[in-house]
Amino acid sequence: MKSVLHRGPLAKLGDLSETRYWVYLLLFPSLILLLLVVAYPTLYGFVISVREMRLTRPGLNGWVGTKHYVAMLSDRVFWISLKNTAIWVTAAIALEVAMGFVAAVALNRNVPGTKLFGVLILLPYFLPNVVAGHMWALLLDPRLGVINDILVKVRILSSYKAWFADPATAMAATIVVEAWHGFPFFALLFLAGLKGIPEDLYKAAAVDGAGPIRQFRLITVPMLRTVITAAVILRVISLVNSPDLLLVLTGGGPGNATQVLSLYAFQTAYREFNFGYAGALAVVMFVILMVFATLYIRLTRVSKD
Amino acid sequence: MQVTKREFLVATAALALASGMRSAQAATAINYWHHFASQSEMAGLMKIIELFGKSHPGIGVTQESIPNSEYMAKVSSAVVAGGRPDTGMVVAERFADLTAMGALVDISERVKGWKGKANFPENRWTGMSQDGAIYAVPAYAFVDWMYYRKDYFEEAGLAGPPKTFDEFLIACRKLTNPAKGRYAFGMRGGAGAFKYVIDVMEAFGSPIVKDGQAAIDKAAAVEAITFYSNLFVKEKVVPPSAPNDSYRQIMEGFRTGQTAMVWHHTGSLIEISAALKAGEQFSTAPMPAGPKAHIARVAYAGNGIMKDDHVDAAWDWISFWGEKDAAIALLEATGYFPASTAALDDERIKSNPIYQAASQTLDFGRLPNRFVGAAGWSESVVNPSFQSVLTGQLTPEQAVDRMIEGLEAALR
Repeated sequence: MKSVLHRGPLAKLGDLSETRYWVYLLLFPSLILLLLVVAYPTLYGFVISVREMRLTRPGLNGWVGTKHYVAMLSDRVFWISLKNTAIWVTAAIALEVAMGFVAAVALNRNVPGTKLFGVLILLPYFLPNVVAGHMWALLLDPRLGVINDILVKVRILSSYKAWFADPATAMAATIVVEAWHGFPFFALLFLAGLKGIPEDLYKAAAVDGAGPIRQFRLITVPMLRTVITAAVILRVISLVNSPDLLLVLTGGGPGNATQVLSLYAFQTAYREFNFGYAGALAVVMFVILMVFATLYIRLTRVSKD
Repeated sequence: MQVTKREFLVATAALALASGMRSAQAATAINYWHHFASQSEMAGLMKIIELFGKSHPGIGVTQESIPNSEYMAKVSSAVVAGGRPDTGMVVAERFADLTAMGALVDISERVKGWKGKANFPENRWTGMSQDGAIYAVPAYAFVDWMYYRKDYFEEAGLAGPPKTFDEFLIACRKLTNPAKGRYAFGMRGGAGAFKYVIDVMEAFGSPIVKDGQAAIDKAAAVEAITFYSNLFVKEKVVPPSAPNDSYRQIMEGFRTGQTAMVWHHTGSLIEISAALKAGEQFSTAPMPAGPKAHIARVAYAGNGIMKDDHVDAAWDWISFWGEKDAAIALLEATGYFPASTAALDDERIKSNPIYQAASQTLDFGRLPNRFVGAAGWSESVVNPSFQSVLTGQLTPEQAVDRMIEGLEAALR
């Protein structure tokens, strides 16, 4: 009896581990960590968006409610950025998915040299955005760019083209660069998905008379649906939030022709030191992404799988 | 070799003691944020650190290079979140924003008692002062001037560099030959374009800010933007890539012979001299004068103290930059013009004809516009508005309207 009354803390912990509360105790450190590194900054971002926070005018700082959101409605650059964000993300994702799919199918054939090509295809993704941006700025340079040189030599162009200086081509040029940089992400995930599709399904379909197109439509796409959905959501989030490639290639110009929301928020915060308005822009991006992800998951019905 | 447990403990304790002593010595270690990035700039900085180390053996300086475009982002983040450096580089264009956000420590009292102060005339301190308080010690100056291809000018039968905007336009027409891939002027229309847009506006008689209020004279500004943008839109004397050309592109254009003239400052002399022969292929001249004013900027840059943890060591470091040896070391490595009159009297400057244009500019050059929000307005409003004129999306009138509207918002 005495030994039971004077049991040590370790023994008590042992007893606790036998109860259903043990699992909450194990989750507690992770929960604290998540609150600190995810919930707090997110909430702080919301708080900043309803405050005036201009580093260079500290006297104005304070609670302003929805002022920034109201100002956004009449902000010409905001609407241009919103439109450009939609174009930039949609076009880049479409290209990346298409290129990634082709690359994944090619790599899935297990022909000699596949491993080497696999590494080569992944190379663009290994490059940091800033490095990729500077590299492409040189490749497309209107004076020294090798791409201009090739296009002139094969007579597609009559003279070197300043791709990033013309509003008609600047956005398209940046989308091509982004697609080149981002397609390995899809290739990698699609390849993993393709490897998981049992070969028997294709054999059975072939016996039933299905050609390659029907096999692709009725087996490959449905089997990859979860992977496609997850990859597209992750990539959309990444593209909407990453201004670095555009910052290097065009800085949002010429004349806001390639201005996107993330770049606008970045420039508002770090050029104008207006963290309140930049915070409101970030909240709008957050809401857009949440709505997009929810709708996209519902439309693809992937959660039912 | 076998080590006993006792020996191991003694050795560990000795190491811990030694590291503690090193930490104690490192109390005079200071860090320094700057935006020097090129090989020549880094060579100059390393030479200054070496000279400082010899004259101040008790102070260690750890330098951190931050890309120029990210410098203010990093400093403002440090101000908000903590983690300021002991000292940092301060350029005139950013001074107002840096003091407004409280990033700099008032050093007025130290400057008053500094023997080197006599080498810095009052205009050097103007760009580093706010409401009578001094926040940085000037170190070097960026003096605006024009680089021109002497050989192209001779080939075109031009007697010399243009002295006025009218002469500039005539020279532009004569020097341009698209068939040869040659354009007269390397216009900066991308990042940093605002600098010359504002200069041309002032040269046509439009002020920017007066007594803290927006003071753009619309008629003069429209005339200025029309003249400047027409070099691209109508005259076609600048490369077609101008709307996206920033520093790298205009320098490449000049170095590779695509352009015959380029506006920049003394800071790019070393880079251009490495590609072209000074005095034969290229030379320098003061900026051409506009119809109403002769504008060229003389932007003093210096160093300030950003936190007062090691304020004595920090002061020794930033004031060392103002001494002649440090200024000459930087000049030799980078071509950056000294702010100190003692260094300006050096024979290497006085006897070099290429520097004459900079010396002349010092007589009439103006400090850059200084007002809180200047950097944000310049980059976020002036740049895209001017680019839009170049690309035909806006008329000069519309662009000036946007600049006025943006300036008023920035000053609010």
